[in-house]
Parts: sequence; C-alpha cells; structure tokens
Amino acid sequence: MAATGETSAQMALRDPDIRLMLRVRADEPGAFEELVARYQHRLVAVMHHVVGDATEAEDLAQEAFLRVYRARKKYRPRSKFSTWLFTIANNLALNSLRSRQRRPVVPWAAAGSGPLGQRPQEQLVRDHRSGPMQKVQRQELAGVIQEALAGLNERQRAAVVLNKFEDMNYAEIAEVMGLTTKAVKSLLSRARMNLRAALAGYVYMDGEPAPAAECDEDNGP
Amino acid sequence: MTNPLTEQEKVDLVAFLDGELTGEAARSLETKLSLNPAARAEAETLKRTWDLLDFLPKPEPSPTFTNRTLEKLAPVPTIALRKATPRRRPWLGYVGWAAALAVAASVGFLAVGRFGPRDDPDRELTRDLRVIENKRLYDRVDDLDYLKSLDQPDLFGDDASGS
Repeated sequence: MAATGETSAQMALRDPDIRLMLRVRADEPGAFEELVARYQHRLVAVMHHVVGDATEAEDLAQEAFLRVYRARKKYRPRSKFSTWLFTIANNLALNSLRSRQRRPVVPWAAAGSGPLGQRPQEQLVRDHRSGPMQKVQRQELAGVIQEALAGLNERQRAAVVLNKFEDMNYAEIAEVMGLTTKAVKSLLSRARMNLRAALAGYVYMDGEPAPAAECDEDNGP
Repeated sequence: MTNPLTEQEKVDLVAFLDGELTGEAARSLETKLSLNPAARAEAETLKRTWDLLDFLPKPEPSPTFTNRTLEKLAPVPTIALRKATPRRRPWLGYVGWAAALAVAASVGFLAVGRFGPRDDPDRELTRDLRVIENKRLYDRVDDLDYLKSLDQPDLFGDDASGS
C-alpha cells in the first residue's frame, strides 16, 4: 500500500525488504541472492496456486525475480517491496494464463505434477490424526479444493490467493492488480460465493451439523 | 427475521469477514447477523469455505531454484567481446572505396569493349580497298622510301605507263 507523505528513507527503515532491495540496487554482492532466497517460497507458492502448474510456476517466479533485477536501478520505494514484487508476478501469471487460453488446453490436474507436485507430508496440514484413511481423505479434499480454485476466473483466483496466502488487504490487492478497492471487494465477494457453491458438499463433512437455514438453502449433500 | 441477504449485503458480509468493513455498514451488518439466523448461517458457511483453503498443499520451489535463477544473471561478456572485436581502422574505409571504384571502372571498360558500339565493317573495307587491291605489289616492296623513288617520271620515261 502506498504510503503518503513518507520518505523513501522512512519506508526503508520500516520495511527490511526495501532495505534489501536498495542493496540490490546498489549492486551489493550477495544481496540479490538473499532476496531470491527470502521470497522464493512465497512467490512460487502464489504462482503455483494461480497458474496451477509447478514447472510453469517456477518459470514465472524466476522471470519475476529477473525482472526485479533488471529494473533494480529504477527502483524507488513507493510502497511495500512485496507489493511491487507481487505486482510484477501477478502480471506475469495473468499474461501466462491468457496466452495459455489461446493454446490447446492442458487439464489442470489436481494431483501432483512431477517432483514439485503435492508432497504427502505437506498435505497433512496441521493434522495430528495422520492415519492412512485421513491421509487419503485429505488428498482427495485437497484435489477438490484445487479444482474449485481452478474453477474461478483468473482474476478471482489471483485475488483469493493474494488475500488468503499472502494475507494482503483489499487495498494491497487493488494495487497489485491495478484495480480499485471497491472492485476488489466485489471480486472477492463473487469468488467466495463461487467457492462456497463449488465446495458446498465439503464444508460440513467433519460431522458438525450445518446451520438449519443454510443447509436448507444452499448445501446439498 | 429470516430474510435472505441482498446482493449488496452478501458483498458486505465477505468484506466484514475479512475485516474490511467499517463504520455504519459494519454496524448494520452486525445487527442483521445478530437477528437473522439465515445471515448467520451464510456467514458461517463462507467462513468454513474459506478455511477449507488451508487444506491446499503448500507448493515449494525446487532446491536448485535460487542457483538456477542466479545463473540466468550471468553478465553478458561485453568486455571480452570488445577485446575480441578487431579495432576499426579509418583508412581501411578509403582503401575499400578506392578498390571498389577501380573494380567498377574495369568492369565498365570491359563491358564497353565487349558490348559497346563498333566501327562499321563496310566502311573499314572501303577505306582499305586500295591497299587490298595493290597488296600483291606492296608485298614486293621492302620499304616505303624505295616505293616513292619509283614514282619519278624521269626514271622510266613515257613508256613506263604503257608497259
């Protein structure tokens, strides 16, 4: 989010990533490597959720880092560094998805895709009941959720991913996606409604009864 | 009070759940949620749906990601290229132009010789006709001075023309 009336120095003091980027701009040895190491996990994860393919996600994340490096001399800390980085990344991801739409479609597999695909230990998200049955159920559930996410349009998906996994507020998402805050609010609302519809059968599968009014209206099985 | 939420209230509800709704809109929605079981059910379902996304696996970059990215930054060897490129010599340009002109002139000369206008062969024959007619006599003459000395009337008298 843009900080009004705040100097670059003040922003740099507050945001360690800006300080790091200023070191990259100054061609300090090792600074860019540190930046890549610091952000690669977040960037690859976001890219993967948006484009749905591990290899493409890595390629796009790599390209985003390279663009940051190429633009380093022009970098001016006007907002959080992560906002700038994810703006570049988001543009790359959406362009990639649009060009993919013009190519023959490869089904977005919910299962793992190669060495970077789903790893069983990662699928046990904060779960201590790691019996084989729960494991299978969780894998299946993850697949269903991935399909639901893939069912959103590209902008809804990007907004959801930035909101959910990058914990960005509406104003930050608006800056990254080049939208107004109001447009982001509407976009996320539609995305959440679509997800609710796609995952209706899984929301109350933990045995807890659904609220009566909700169950009658929207939730099927 | 179990009226379903309006479209605008649904938009506000999502924003409310995200902590993005403030002021009067937030207070109004809070009131509606406290009084309307359908609205509460909607909010609960939306919240649970959102929480389901936590089950998604967290993709990780491959172990070589950083190295591969840094390898792409390998600087273009501009200095080496500059050294490898031969230095430009200014006089080489002039020599080149001169050579080109010489070649062009030679080609022009040869082309004119080969394809250019030629003398009329009949005119050439007419001009040399007398020489050709007397060629047999000229062959007996060793040199031109001797031939001129024969052209004296007093040497042969008047009979000379009749013989």
